[in-house]
Amino acid sequence: MLSNELLILSILTLAMIGILGIILVYLMIRKAMDIKISKRIDHCKEKYNPLISLILTEGGLSRELTAKTALQRKAIEELLSRYTKVLEREEEKKRLSKLAALYLTDDYQKRLKSMRWSTRMNTLYQIEDFGMDHLLNDVYMLLKRRRLSHQELIHILRILALFHFGPLFELLTNHYNHLSEYEYRNILLRLEQRQFDQFVLNFHKSELPLQKAIVDVISIKKELSYLSFLENIFSNYSGEVKLRALKALAVIGYVKNIEPYLELLYSSKWEERMISAKLIGKLKEEKGVPRLIELLHDQSWWVRFQAGQSICQFLNGKEILRLVLESSKDSFAKDMAWEWLHKGE
Amino acid sequence: MLIIQWDDIVTTFAWGIAVYMVIVIFFYSVILVISMFQLRKEYKLDRVLAYEDYLDEIYTKPISIIVPAYNEEAGIVHSVRSLLSVNYPTYEIIVVNDGSTDHTLKKMIDHYDMKEIKRVVRKQVNSKPISKIYQSAIFAHLFLVDKVNGGKADALNVGLNFSQYPYFCSLDGDSVLEQDALLKVMKPIIDSNGDVIASGGSVRIANGCQIQNGQIQNIGLSDKPLVVMQIIEYLRAFLMGRIGLSRHNLLLIISGAFGVFSKSWVIEAGGYRTDTVGEDMELVVRMHRLLKEKGQRKKIVYVQDPVCWTEVPEDITTLRRQRRRWHRGLFESLWIHRKITLNPKYGSIGLLAFPYFWIVEFFGPMIELSGYIFMILGLFLGGIYIEFAILLFFLSCLYGSIFSMAAVLLEEWSLTKYPKVSDIIKLFLYSLTETIWYRPLTVFWRCEGVWQMLRGDKSWGEMKRKGVLE
Repeated sequence: MLSNELLILSILTLAMIGILGIILVYLMIRKAMDIKISKRIDHCKEKYNPLISLILTEGGLSRELTAKTALQRKAIEELLSRYTKVLEREEEKKRLSKLAALYLTDDYQKRLKSMRWSTRMNTLYQIEDFGMDHLLNDVYMLLKRRRLSHQELIHILRILALFHFGPLFELLTNHYNHLSEYEYRNILLRLEQRQFDQFVLNFHKSELPLQKAIVDVISIKKELSYLSFLENIFSNYSGEVKLRALKALAVIGYVKNIEPYLELLYSSKWEERMISAKLIGKLKEEKGVPRLIELLHDQSWWVRFQAGQSICQFLNGKEILRLVLESSKDSFAKDMAWEWLHKGE
Repeated sequence: MLIIQWDDIVTTFAWGIAVYMVIVIFFYSVILVISMFQLRKEYKLDRVLAYEDYLDEIYTKPISIIVPAYNEEAGIVHSVRSLLSVNYPTYEIIVVNDGSTDHTLKKMIDHYDMKEIKRVVRKQVNSKPISKIYQSAIFAHLFLVDKVNGGKADALNVGLNFSQYPYFCSLDGDSVLEQDALLKVMKPIIDSNGDVIASGGSVRIANGCQIQNGQIQNIGLSDKPLVVMQIIEYLRAFLMGRIGLSRHNLLLIISGAFGVFSKSWVIEAGGYRTDTVGEDMELVVRMHRLLKEKGQRKKIVYVQDPVCWTEVPEDITTLRRQRRRWHRGLFESLWIHRKITLNPKYGSIGLLAFPYFWIVEFFGPMIELSGYIFMILGLFLGGIYIEFAILLFFLSCLYGSIFSMAAVLLEEWSLTKYPKVSDIIKLFLYSLTETIWYRPLTVFWRCEGVWQMLRGDKSWGEMKRKGVLE
């Protein structure tokens, strides 16, 4: 009969009502607490804001700025966080780091050891933003933690790079040599030149992602001092690395000897034709113009597009394009010439 | 004799429904637990800090935002204004005017000083011809493409052909983006170094919120019961469903309202299909299929941060049309790719995601409808059936509200958007009533969608915009 089932169903119903009640009460208490706490923090921030603002602009310390309770420290943290986004002058940034060190060091040391992933991540971000380089060792110790997430690892290495951690080169080349290109780039960008040079010297022995990242960082920073290094890679490597070096040269816009790059305009790979066309345009090298005009007829859309752009960069670029538009029989070349002639009108 | 047989049928039927309910509750519970773990891990993670890095041009990849517009003269200027203030280093906005019959084109040209330009457009996916291209004289990254009418999917395809950047994002004309929306959805793509080829964010409901100059000013809960019910529905769908599915790369839907895709993969898959009403879901399914067939381990993910606020229907008629259309879109996507169902070649997509969408999402409403009929029948049959029916009714009320409240709980853990205690009580009370009116209504509309389809009715209504964007 159904009576047994009825009993079970009734019990289930009661259980569900119970669960619902618990969730509701929990949610209501939580919300009420949250509102109360954030009000108190806001109140505290209002009191502290003028004090902190004064310390940051003029230096010194204030006795009224106390951080005895967690709530007060939270208020200070939030205020400092706001200021990191607006401060420009070096001395002000230093004062901010000093303030953070004074009030938040103990908390952060504890939080780095927290069981909760999000707490550790937030702390890492704050340490980086506030420039708390006296916590360098604590951050480094976190690397030894068992079950470290990949995101944490990358962030730690980033902070170590930013704080000029000596053995970072060893770490990256020996222990953590399987990062992605993007992650390496993220770390290398934060290095100062002396440390970065270590990676440049070790370039030939590095894995491919690291090599690509090194070349990219030079290209991003537009470092003229690495010009011969880039040209060296261009002539000694092939494939993706060679292409990256070429790209970096095109960004920097200077080479010692133009000949090899003119030859590359005839490469069988469309990527190489495209980037060498870009370089020729940037250098405004007259010798390359006839070939650029030929490249307007290239079979690859990207090469045609780049050739059009490069020709545009020459003083008489528009005339050249007009000539192509009038004289060429190739409709693709005509389309491209037409597009660059009408760009931005 | 006859009576006993009748009894048997009813009992079997009751058991059938009970078993179905257990399966569904099991599915939902598993997904809920997965979502809970994920959100708990990221509990109180300061997301603003995490996104700041990506504001640097060096790290991010440029995006083309495609806005298909068909007769959107009321909202288009505002939508574009909200897009112009988006926080992202490099992007372009491409408004595709899909042969509007109103003043959409003129409004754009006048307001943003659009000037006609010449541009060679590579035809990478098939689409209707472009008539004119404009570029704004004020904002160099704002373009307007005027084309022959061909539907939303076709407009998106044109935008795809026209766009110059490696990633694109499709956006409904009536949605408001959060300032950091692009950063949020691009984060997984950048972090994974290209292993993530599409990413979507959660969509929230704008009705009841105050919006000015294309930005959300105040978050509030609407007073209209129909809207509150939809809010609960969205919370459940996004916070529970999608997080759970995305965790295991089973995501079959990236909301048409907002999602970012890798252009090269979409082009390889063939762009948007113009002959279905659910082109957004169909594309994601096709991309999954392409990945499996090519043996690629790429991913399609979901970001739980709210990225986009959209206007939902406030009256019964429009909501009914929308639900019928959705259900039909769902069926078309599943039907076009029916080969995937239970096919081990497609891995978890074929063995888990597809059966889930067939059983719970597609056939669910029909089984539920028969359940409602059974309950009513039970009342007439008298005896033990009355008690059984009443209990079943209570139970379905309660389990529905438990999942709804769990979704509210997840929302509190992750984002805490609704500011007042009274909001929570309101959400709670409404979720208790869901089974009495809202659920049967949507179930009925979705069954109607199936019925329409069987009859071969192709008409489907456009949504009437009230224009919350003003």
